[in-house]
Amino acid sequence: MVEQTPIADHSADRGRERARRLPFAISVRWGGVVLAGALAVTGLVFVWQSTMLDLGGIGLPGPGLFPLVLGVLLAVFSLVIGVESWRAPATERTVELGHPHVLITAAALLAVPVLFEPLGAYLTLALLSAVLLVFVARLSLWLAAIWIALGMAACWYLFEVLLGVRLPAGPF
Amino acid sequence: MSGLDHLIGGFSVALSWKGLLYCFIGCLWGTVVGVLPGLGPLAGMTLLLPLTFGLDPTIGIIMLTGIFYGAMYGGSTTSILVRIPGEAASVVTCIDGYEMARQGRAGPALMIAAVGSFIGGTFSILGLMFIAPPLAKVMIAIGPSVEVVLMLLALAVISFVSPGSRMKTATMVVFGLLLGTIGLDNLTGVARFTFGNPDLSGGLSFAALAIGLFGLSEILINLETTETIKAIQPKLRDLVPRWNDLRESGPAVGRGSVIGFIFGIIPGASHVVSTFVSYAVEKRLSRHPEQFGKGAIAGVAGPETANNAVTGTAMIPLLALGIPSIPATALLLSALTIHGVQPGPLLLTDRPEVFWGLVASMYIGNLILLALNLPLVGLFVNLLRIPYRWLVVIILVISIIGIYSVNFSTVDIWIMVISGGIGYVLRKFGYEMAPLLLALVLGDRLEANFRVALTMSGGSYATFFDTASIIVLGSALAILLVMQGLAWALGYRKSLADEAERA
Repeated sequence: MVEQTPIADHSADRGRERARRLPFAISVRWGGVVLAGALAVTGLVFVWQSTMLDLGGIGLPGPGLFPLVLGVLLAVFSLVIGVESWRAPATERTVELGHPHVLITAAALLAVPVLFEPLGAYLTLALLSAVLLVFVARLSLWLAAIWIALGMAACWYLFEVLLGVRLPAGPF
Repeated sequence: MSGLDHLIGGFSVALSWKGLLYCFIGCLWGTVVGVLPGLGPLAGMTLLLPLTFGLDPTIGIIMLTGIFYGAMYGGSTTSILVRIPGEAASVVTCIDGYEMARQGRAGPALMIAAVGSFIGGTFSILGLMFIAPPLAKVMIAIGPSVEVVLMLLALAVISFVSPGSRMKTATMVVFGLLLGTIGLDNLTGVARFTFGNPDLSGGLSFAALAIGLFGLSEILINLETTETIKAIQPKLRDLVPRWNDLRESGPAVGRGSVIGFIFGIIPGASHVVSTFVSYAVEKRLSRHPEQFGKGAIAGVAGPETANNAVTGTAMIPLLALGIPSIPATALLLSALTIHGVQPGPLLLTDRPEVFWGLVASMYIGNLILLALNLPLVGLFVNLLRIPYRWLVVIILVISIIGIYSVNFSTVDIWIMVISGGIGYVLRKFGYEMAPLLLALVLGDRLEANFRVALTMSGGSYATFFDTASIIVLGSALAILLVMQGLAWALGYRKSLADEAERA
């Protein structure tokens, strides 16, 4: 008879383990190289797009020449920074990225433009506030709900009534 | 109309109930963002920028400018009581201000800082009033080629004097100029880098970018820290300085006013440079230099006066030339443009009520700040007790509604959020956001003037080297070099290094 070993659910443990590893420590040297590379690529994208515009001449530049020159400069400067970072002596210096509070706030913020018009401004902002107050400020759900209700009422009065700003009402 | 008539007209705007109310709101909010570590004048201005859209341009600018100089006042409070500078220009005040507070002399330090700020601020407004109008008249006479030369010079100086890596700063300048090219081309109407999205045809929203790059990235960085703040609580009756304090700080306030006013001309980080220069000068001239770092009142009076004296000087290039020299004035330029007012030489002739209303409001704002800062210092200190993570929610909600209300487009919210993320990562790796923002503001006009100048000259680059350009470039360069040389000679570098060592 084969003895069955219990199958443990490790997914929650793995999640906690990942959360414990946050924020990520990235070496200044490698992070610097990657960031400079990203800036260089941005410059090159602008160069590529500029070539599709009328460049005009050196004496009478068209709409594409100025961004073309700037794109080249951005790529060159970024490459120089990248090379400097690469050649810098290896040290233990690190930059911490991805603190849990930063990640929660960033994720909540990214949802705002998606939900703002379909759900309505006040409901979207109430949800954003709820996430931040409960998960970042560590307020109890009830206390957060009271603060959010008061805050949204104040926002409505300030923007809609006093300043006359019409915000998306959503489906309600 | 004479200058006095214009000034009286300006006071009639600034003393109207709306002028007073919004000046008060600006000063109060400015003090609050100055007090709260991590929220400087720029973040404070960007956050309330959307509230000005429904206002008369003059009133809106009065409020935003109030935030600018209000933050300079507020920054000293946390420097003295907590040893945390509310904003960069208050770093030096920490040295002797906090030492005074530890010795039970927080009251006199706060009092002298507030009075010095008032005197420095008022002195610089006088300078603004007398220098800007004649300078604008000179600028009307010059053409687009000279304007290009001036803008290039401003950007070059920003790259040179900014703290940190010059190559990174130059990269941010180029990146800012490049982002400024997104949208319809000013001269031909051709869409550039919009990828068919009509919301981008007007270019990237400056307000959304400014809030993202400065406000949001600052918030994200501050969310990483969890430290609680313990402040020294001063008593109101202890505010009155001793005769000896007045005798020692009087000359420092005078020198700080002049130093702040003169060094305010340096683009980029004038408010920070002026405080270090002032501290170095006071230490050098003092009969007891050994007391510096141990609670010398002149070490508080000089720098605090200097950083407020910069505010008026920083407005001169903005209002007379249309060229911002620091990020805060770049935001003011953007705000003026949103309100349909073009800062520059023609502002004084076309919209004198804006210029003189602003000048008058600055006098009133300085008085409001003096009245606010001393009796309410306890209240402002208590602000530090509000958990930062609660404030974040309020700030974000106001920013999002404000940004949406500019164009009623969710694209602007996307721009704010994405630029906030980009700003967060770039700042973590030592890239400065101020040069990017200044370049973004100037980029549009730089390109337009560059191409107009070439068209006018038939494609000859010699237009950028004509007599007028050379004279303007030469004089501006000479002034800046002298300023920079003076800053170095007076010990800016040394006091900066001392402070770094101390930290």
